[in-house]
This record gives sequence, C-alpha cells and structure tokens, in this order.
Amino acid sequence: MQKIGIFDSGVETPEEIVMAAGFTPYRFFGDPTLQPDRANEHIPPTHCIWTRNLLEQAIKGLDENIVGIIGTHGCDRTNREFDIWIECLNLDFMFFLNSPRKRDNLALNFFINDLKELILRLEEVFNIEITPGKLKDAIITTNKIRKLLKEISDYRKKLVLKGSEFHELVKNAQYQDKNQVLENLEKKSEELKSRAPFSEKNIKKILLTGSEIDDTEFIKYLESLGFHIVIDDLGVGTKYFWNLVDENSEPIEALAKYHLTKPINSIKYPSYERFNVLQKLIEDYKVDGVINIAQKFCEPVLYDHPYLNKKFKELEIPYLFIEATYNRESYNQLSTRFSAFAEII
Amino acid sequence: MSKQKTEHRKMLNATQGLKNVMGRHFLAIEQAYRDGKPTAWATSGSPVELLYAMDIQPILPENSATISAAQKYSRDFIEIAEAEGFSYDLCSYFKTNVGAVISNADLTKGGTGKPTFMLSTDVICDTHVNWFEVQAERLKVPHYTLDIPHVISNTNNRQYNYFKKYISEQLYDFLDFIQEVTGNEYHEERAKQVTQNSWDLSMVWQDIYELRKAVPCPMSTRDTFGGLFPLFTMPGLKEPIKLYKRMYREAKKRVDSGIGALEQEDFRLMFEGIPFWYNLKFFGMLERWNSIIVYEPYTYAFSKYMNPKVTKEMVLSQPIEAMSELMLSFWYIYDLKTRIKKFEETVREWKIDGVLLHENLSCRPNSCGLYDLKRHLMDDYDIPCLVISSDMNDPRKMNETQVINQIESFIEILRKRKKK
Repeated sequence: MQKIGIFDSGVETPEEIVMAAGFTPYRFFGDPTLQPDRANEHIPPTHCIWTRNLLEQAIKGLDENIVGIIGTHGCDRTNREFDIWIECLNLDFMFFLNSPRKRDNLALNFFINDLKELILRLEEVFNIEITPGKLKDAIITTNKIRKLLKEISDYRKKLVLKGSEFHELVKNAQYQDKNQVLENLEKKSEELKSRAPFSEKNIKKILLTGSEIDDTEFIKYLESLGFHIVIDDLGVGTKYFWNLVDENSEPIEALAKYHLTKPINSIKYPSYERFNVLQKLIEDYKVDGVINIAQKFCEPVLYDHPYLNKKFKELEIPYLFIEATYNRESYNQLSTRFSAFAEII
Repeated sequence: MSKQKTEHRKMLNATQGLKNVMGRHFLAIEQAYRDGKPTAWATSGSPVELLYAMDIQPILPENSATISAAQKYSRDFIEIAEAEGFSYDLCSYFKTNVGAVISNADLTKGGTGKPTFMLSTDVICDTHVNWFEVQAERLKVPHYTLDIPHVISNTNNRQYNYFKKYISEQLYDFLDFIQEVTGNEYHEERAKQVTQNSWDLSMVWQDIYELRKAVPCPMSTRDTFGGLFPLFTMPGLKEPIKLYKRMYREAKKRVDSGIGALEQEDFRLMFEGIPFWYNLKFFGMLERWNSIIVYEPYTYAFSKYMNPKVTKEMVLSQPIEAMSELMLSFWYIYDLKTRIKKFEETVREWKIDGVLLHENLSCRPNSCGLYDLKRHLMDDYDIPCLVISSDMNDPRKMNETQVINQIESFIEILRKRKKK
C-alpha cells in the first residue's frame, strides 16, 4: 500500500485524512545509529539533532512506497526545515500543515481551514475524493486503536507490561498499516489479561516526559537502571491516544478539536499548562519521580525546564532533567546521573 | 586628509542624532512608569503601531538586550539566566533579558521594568513566545501572543487568504485584550496617524537604502545597525522620521559628490543575520581591507512595507488587514525559494562582491536554510559567500581570531576575482 510520510515533531497530524485518502500514514522516526552527515550539509550541527536525523534518512532514500510527505508545524524546526525537505526530495505531494500554536476558537477555525486545504491538495494531486464517510470510517478505526492503547497502557501501572514493550507498540501504531495495528493490539490485549505481574522489588516508578523519545533502546536502558515507566507524556506515548475523536460530529471539525484539546505539549501555548497535565498523571499513577529528557538543542523543552523544576520542588516531587544526545553510545555517559536520581527516590 | 575628517566621513553626522531620539524613547518609558501609563513589552515583528495607537508605551526587550551587549553586560546577564536553569543553547537575547530583570538593571544597561502586559508573536521565532511566557509568569503580568502561520516555498494563494484572516482575527482580539487590561480604547483617527508615521518612517529608510546602491557607498553599518532601532521601537512617532530624513539628506549629498563612507572602496559586502552587538568594532575592522557592508537584510527587513500589495492607502484605511498581510511577507521570514531570489536581486542591484552569512548560534530560525542559500548563490549565480559562526549577544560564542582569518581569506578570493 502506498504511504504518506509524516514529518512531525509532535503528534499533531490527523492520520485519518491520510487514511481516508487511501494511504497508510507513515510517521518518520529517527535512527540513533546514524550520523547525520548529509543532513549537516543543509542544517547547522547546532540545530535539533532529531530532525537532522530524519532529513539524513530522507536524503539517503525513503521507503519506495512513500508518495508524499506532510510536514506538520511543531517547533521552529519544522517550517524552516520543510523547505529543505522540498529542496532535497522529488515528490509530487509535499504539504506543510500549520498546526496552530494556540488552542482557542480562532485557532480552531484556522486549523479547520488548514485541514480542508490538506484534503483539497491530496484530492488534487492524487485525483481522489475524500468523503465525510471515509473520514468517519478512519476515525472509528483510529479511535479503536486509541482505546486499545489506553487499555494496554494501564498494564504498565499494574506492573504487567514494561515501558519498553509498550513504547514499541505505540511506535508501530504510528507507521504500520492501521488494520494490522488493530489486529496486533487486540492480540496483545488478550495476551496481557493472563500475563503475571513482575516483581515490584527495587523498581522506581517513573513518569517520563520531554522531547520526542523514539528510541525504544533508550527506554530499555532506563529499565536496566531500575526505572519503570508507569506513565509518560510523550508523542510515542500517551499524547498519541489519551483522548478520542468525537465520532458523532462533522469529521473535519472533530479532528481539529481533538488535536487542540488533547494534553498540551511544550510546543503549544501556553506550554506551562503542561505542568497541570504532569501533575495529574503524577497523582493518578503514584510515581516515585519525574524524568524530563531534552534532546540536544530541543528549545521548547529547554524553555520549560526551569519552571517545571520550580514547581516540582514546591511539591517535593523528585525531578531529573537531562540534556541527551541522540546516539546510543551517549546513553551510558548518563548513568551516573540516573543512578544518583535512583538513590534519591 | 586629517584623521578627524576621515572619521567624520565614516559615520554620517546625522546618525549622531540617534542618541537623542533613542534617549527620548527611554525617557518616555520612564515617564510612563512615573505617570502610571500602561506599558507593554513587545517582541520584534509584532505590530508595535497598535500599542502606540492605543496609548500604550512599548518596550522592546530585544532592543534593550543589544544595549546590554554593546555595554558589555550581556555575558553577566546570560550567566545569571543560566544559573536559573536556562540552557547554554538557548537564545542569548532571552537570557540577557532574564539576567537583566533579575539584576534589576536600569534602562541604560538594558534593563526592562515590569510592564502592564506583554505582546509576543512567533512570526520570527518560537523563542519570542517562550521568552514572554517565561517572563510573564515570573513577573505575573498578562501576556497576549499572536500565532502566525508559516509561509513555506509552496504555500498557495488559498492558504495565504485564510492565514491573513486568522491573523486579522487575532489582532482584533488583541485590541479587546488591551481594552480589558488597560481600559484604553482603539481610536481610528489616532491609528491612522500612527500608521501614517510608521509608513513614512519605513519609506525614508527604504530611500536611504536606495542611496546605498551608489558606488562608493555613502554609509556603512555604523549608521544602519544603530539606525535600525527606531523602526523597532518607535514606528508611529514623528521624531525618528526627522532623524531619518536628516540621514537621507546627508547621504544624498555624499552620493551627489561621489563621496563614500570609506576613503577607498574595494569590496562591497552584504551581511545576513543579526550583528554581534558586543563586538561592533568587528564591522569597522572590515575597513582594513577597504571593504564595506552595503546591505543588511536584517536592518532592511524592519522597514516592513515592502509587499507591493500593501499600499499606503490600504495601510491607512485598513490598518489591521494591512498588518496581517505584512506579517506574512517581510524579509526576515522569507521562505527559502523567495530568500534565494531576493538575495540574487539584491546582490545585483547593490553591486555586491560577496555575502557574509552569520550562522547565529542563538537564532536557529534565521540560520536554518543558510547552507542551501549559500549553495544556490554560489552554484547558480556565482556569488561568493562565507558562513561565519557566532552569536548575536553572547561573547563567549565568538572566536574573533578565527572569524578574522576566515574573512581575510574571503577577501583574498574576492580580490583574485576582481583581477580576472
């Protein structure tokens, strides 16, 4: 099946529109074993390491089934860098979706217009028709996926499912065929019902937040140090499935509303509301501490850190902030700080 | 020629008047605080005219940060912000402002007092919004942000139209916000006067830029880097128009008499990016090689009325709609394709020999695309370019010796090209 690639530093792209157009939404993820040598010819090395990694892969050659790309506004990186993607790739369909930074009614109306434009451009370029019926069908499918993921996510809290295993499930859901995803999640859900919990001994229950963390090996690395991610606030995580799209409203408006009302991330305004999201998760999941990971040069997360630090101190919640580099060799260099944090909590 | 006369030729006499004009701006800020008049912090690229139109005294923290840097305080302020937990990699303007506020620095050192409210926009960068969000929380003041859609190389007219609509709606919403916070009302007549002044100010600045096409060039960055400030801080007032007119007249005289800012002008350069405010003498150092910067997109960008669709008539009769259009179309935010085209045209019209591109460690939106811009200018148009890596406000991030060596080699390349 043909795919539409998604370059999105959050999870703000309405996959349902891509599905209704007859394509598989294929979100791009980084490869931390890769050096962004060719991307560095386009983007200075002091810019977001993750988006450079994505560009590197794009320049080296995308999956041959990818027939177009949607770049979605997240942070500063996306709009300026999307011009470079246009420069480097030869695809007929390259659309930049201006996911608004604000979340009020004016922003909602604007986003509805931008989604309509996305639909129009897909229809024009691929000579297809995206009907409300097709959109509704897609919404029903993605909602099923969201419900299953939320249900499965809770097995982390019950100490049945490791954070790394769950991370992989969410990641797969963002680039594999949705029917296949649904089937896999249904099987997993069944399997988990009879899986025995693991021992709580020596486990530190963590809320993981920060930049986009798409390397499952990083989660495994945290687990090797005794941390268990019971809950997260990430794109490859709860942000992808926490709420549902209203299936009874006009579909485009429902999709826009869904994206503008889901738990806020650092790139939206006011980003400080993210603290409220985190606080609620901390209370609901009774975590021992919070780990906030900023990928090197990830400005939105860097701006939020001092505020979060202050607020967590006030609440006496253990909080660790780490600026990390996107390569696996660097993970071990962080072990002293992680170990010290584990001692504290 | 005596040394004194040479010095006079380098900077326009009229530019000396900038001190008075900017001094009046800072006096107005102090007066506003004394009188209890509403004040607002505003980021560059935001419609400062609306603040003047509603009798709000604007304060531009970026402008203040440059003052800190020029007076060698920025490093200390930045380190104070870093001690608060703000990363080494974040914007140095932002950190300068955080440090200056914590230090309670006065206006002359780049301090900015607590305003009645803050106005930010992400038209130039996301940092502007984050910056004011941080400071609004710390100072406990209301904050309004304008969310500006981003135009990229393949944005079409349909999109342009609903982009503009979204901005207009926010601007009207912002007027309500001001009224709610301050009680001040929007008066159409006053707005008309302000926009008229803003238009006039920008037009004179653009006329000054036209004079810089002359060989030899009548003025250098000694006039423009500082000369830019009224465009940021006082668009809507009459005083800076008089200053710009004086600058124009003097520069015109030089052009008519064939006098340049340099004794001998061998190389004409363009400088893309924000200058290193803590090391302005660097730009004077270019004169060592008889080189002069004749165009800076940065200082030109803020004479905002350069979109042919935005006429004076439109600015006066529909200021909100005109501002919405302008916020989508000015030099500093051009998409890559338009940026390349504009650079090529400018190099041709201003007879530029080479382009210096500042890869600013603090301003990622501006330095993104710089490598592709350079490649196109060099490969497609045979325009020599040099990328310099540094920072606008953080002196720790400038390796002066390395930059000078790079420029020296670059000038040699230009010299060889001229001999061919």
